[in-house]
Amino acid sequence: MTSQNNFDAIVIGAGIVGATTSLALTKAGLRVLVLDRGPVAGGTTGAGEGNILVSDKEPGPELELALMSRDLWFELGDDVGDSFELEAKGGVVVSRGDDTALRDFAKRQQSAGVNAQLVDGNELRKLEPHLAPGMNSGAFYPQDSQCQPMLAAAQILKRVRERGGIVKTGTMVTKFVIVSNRVKGVETSEGIFNAPTIVNAAGTWAGEISKLAGSFLPIAPRKGFILVTAPMPQIINHKVYDSDYVANVASGEADLQTSTVVEGTRSGTILIGASRERVGFDGSMNIDVLRRLAAQATSLFPILRDVQLLRAYRGFRPYAPDHLPVIGEDSLIAGLWHSAGHEGAGIGLAPGSARLLTEQITGRSSFMDASPFSPRRFQGGSA
Amino acid sequence: MIAIVGAGPAGLSAAVAAAKLGQQVILIDSSPRLGGQYWRHLPSNWGVGRPPYFAKAQELFDEVLSNPLITRFSNAHVWQAEKKAEQFNLYVVRNGVEEIVKAEKVILATGAYDRALPFPGWDLPGVMTAGAAQSMLKSHGVLVGKKFVIAGTGPFLLPVATGLAAAGAEVVGLYEANNPLRWILNLHGLILNPSKIREGIYFLKKLRSLGIKVHYGKEIQSAVSDGVLVDGKKIECDTVAIGSGFVPELSLAGILGAKLKVGADGTVVVDVDQNQQTSIPGLYAAGESTGIGGSSLAVLEGEIAGSTRKGKRLARWRAQVFATGLQRVYPVSNKWQSALTPQTILCRCEEVSLADIHGAIDELGAQDGRSAKLFTRAGMGLCQGRVCGRNVSEIVACHLSRDLTAEERINTAQRPLAAPISLGELGDGLEKNF
Repeated sequence: MTSQNNFDAIVIGAGIVGATTSLALTKAGLRVLVLDRGPVAGGTTGAGEGNILVSDKEPGPELELALMSRDLWFELGDDVGDSFELEAKGGVVVSRGDDTALRDFAKRQQSAGVNAQLVDGNELRKLEPHLAPGMNSGAFYPQDSQCQPMLAAAQILKRVRERGGIVKTGTMVTKFVIVSNRVKGVETSEGIFNAPTIVNAAGTWAGEISKLAGSFLPIAPRKGFILVTAPMPQIINHKVYDSDYVANVASGEADLQTSTVVEGTRSGTILIGASRERVGFDGSMNIDVLRRLAAQATSLFPILRDVQLLRAYRGFRPYAPDHLPVIGEDSLIAGLWHSAGHEGAGIGLAPGSARLLTEQITGRSSFMDASPFSPRRFQGGSA
Repeated sequence: MIAIVGAGPAGLSAAVAAAKLGQQVILIDSSPRLGGQYWRHLPSNWGVGRPPYFAKAQELFDEVLSNPLITRFSNAHVWQAEKKAEQFNLYVVRNGVEEIVKAEKVILATGAYDRALPFPGWDLPGVMTAGAAQSMLKSHGVLVGKKFVIAGTGPFLLPVATGLAAAGAEVVGLYEANNPLRWILNLHGLILNPSKIREGIYFLKKLRSLGIKVHYGKEIQSAVSDGVLVDGKKIECDTVAIGSGFVPELSLAGILGAKLKVGADGTVVVDVDQNQQTSIPGLYAAGESTGIGGSSLAVLEGEIAGSTRKGKRLARWRAQVFATGLQRVYPVSNKWQSALTPQTILCRCEEVSLADIHGAIDELGAQDGRSAKLFTRAGMGLCQGRVCGRNVSEIVACHLSRDLTAEERINTAQRPLAAPISLGELGDGLEKNF
């Protein structure tokens, strides 16, 4: 065995979570190998809008992580250079009827440190002049941001390579090398690699990787569609949500939910998300989902009625039963760490998760209490 | 009910064959007129002698227009399709309004579009596909330029060059990349299809009478604002019509889950059986989508798909032999890649250059056409990669010194939406209880 095959840490997954985690570990002085069976950002990262949101999160550990993560994104932007379209675009949540829930939610977020500004109809129309009439209440979240997630993952991994890390795409992990319940390395399609620390950042496939290591993690796919229109001049300035969106994100119901998020992009196309279905890895097109997304988007912005839908794409969000990400060490296999199950918030939460995990791996004190994210909540074992 | 998508040679022939057996047919086509790309808007007062295919086209037009069993949906785009409980649902936007067509049998006769290979300057105004130049002439009677250069490879350049010249354009030269001696590779095809010899003679005579010079074994190196460079020599022109074969339109076949396969020349086609049936029972395909073969093969395939009659199989075989031989006469080599400069635009919709693609591979780790697309936006514009998708994946594979896999080729041929639809129409579908 040559020393070329020995690393301080191996990160499985070259999506946004794997990319940010490997950069954080590299910066902490570890020699890192990143493995992915597919290309960079070939899974959920490559099928997302690039949301970096605080607006959709209830006060609690996920919001705390999101707030830190959002700041870390802009630090990353300074480090890597503005090469992945990072933009503090701002989010606008619109209420269609009774706005009590929206106002309560915003107020609770304010006390948790979110910049949430309640706005009336006039202010709404200043923010988004093309909103449908009759929408007279909303909230503005200047912190909500956006990046191009595939480019972000690729640029961050480029930085990892520049700092001495190795990235191997097209490399499938076939087996874990485990000695007395402790990881020693992995066998892959390209050979054996050794490391005392292995990070499972396999996103929607994190459950399979856990199983391969002889452990268990209940991560399942939740399908979503995004509609993409033909390019047009900018008419939508922010990320604009229906207030139902927040309720859907937090919901665990299996059947289909749609609630609109509409936004313009730098390339002039308009993106419309986001549906949520738990149908396993069934990738088929659901025409009804596309219709609902379109109907909701045009009811928010009637000007979109004549805009042509150019394509639709789908992805699978990795979700855990309690809708919180899993960040921490496995309770059955020592040296196996997880950062997965971020559902639709993986882009936003990635740098924060990376920091939290790196602090634990390197034994430093954490910026926040990491126990709510621990895999032990599913695996049992003492904290 | 049989639904036929596409009213070109294959679709028309399928419609007539099915109606002759007493079947109800809905013939769906995106154009206001019958004929598809090749038979589009045949002029009734054809100038210098009628083309050899005129009689067959006219016969099918007359039959489609007079047979009460055939219902025409023109200006209609099928944007989405599904098969539910032995029945096909085609979602059609006709004159801007969405409706549903239900059928037990569907025949896809969706044809093909030109394959355009990039070269420095191909994104200048005045450079267009041969098909686009022809279609502007046939649909709108518009000559898109005065002084044309026609370039690329394949027999389709002949009707384009002669058609433009007959309509009054000056065609300063036809640059055919391949050598005519290669026809030796298709002698058996010619022997089996003597009508093709007559067609060839027709076009050669026409070229001569119109004064069009054909330059064999020559390719355009680059285009500038007032001409093109060939062998380092400038040829003045205001319009360049290019075409290097065709790419079958397979969106609907892919959406319905039909098995696709890769032909010997790398073209992705629908896999069909002896009856033109795809891997999905009840779903048939005919014409260019099953392999580029020209209008006479398309007519035969359409007839078989429409009637499932065995009698035409021998004729189809003869025409297929010719079509396969044609691929050997007019191959598209990878040579076009060496003419590119780093600044050459590959994706015209999103203005992505060769350097951008190489950067995505070398700097960002793209390993295939899909990641190159996600990193650069190549293929994400209005045409949805119909023009550049195949070219970009071939460039990526070449840069990584490997061959494209069949799976990658098939991926570039698939699209989740077969045609655009307005968000208003799409949402209104909720109320229509399709």
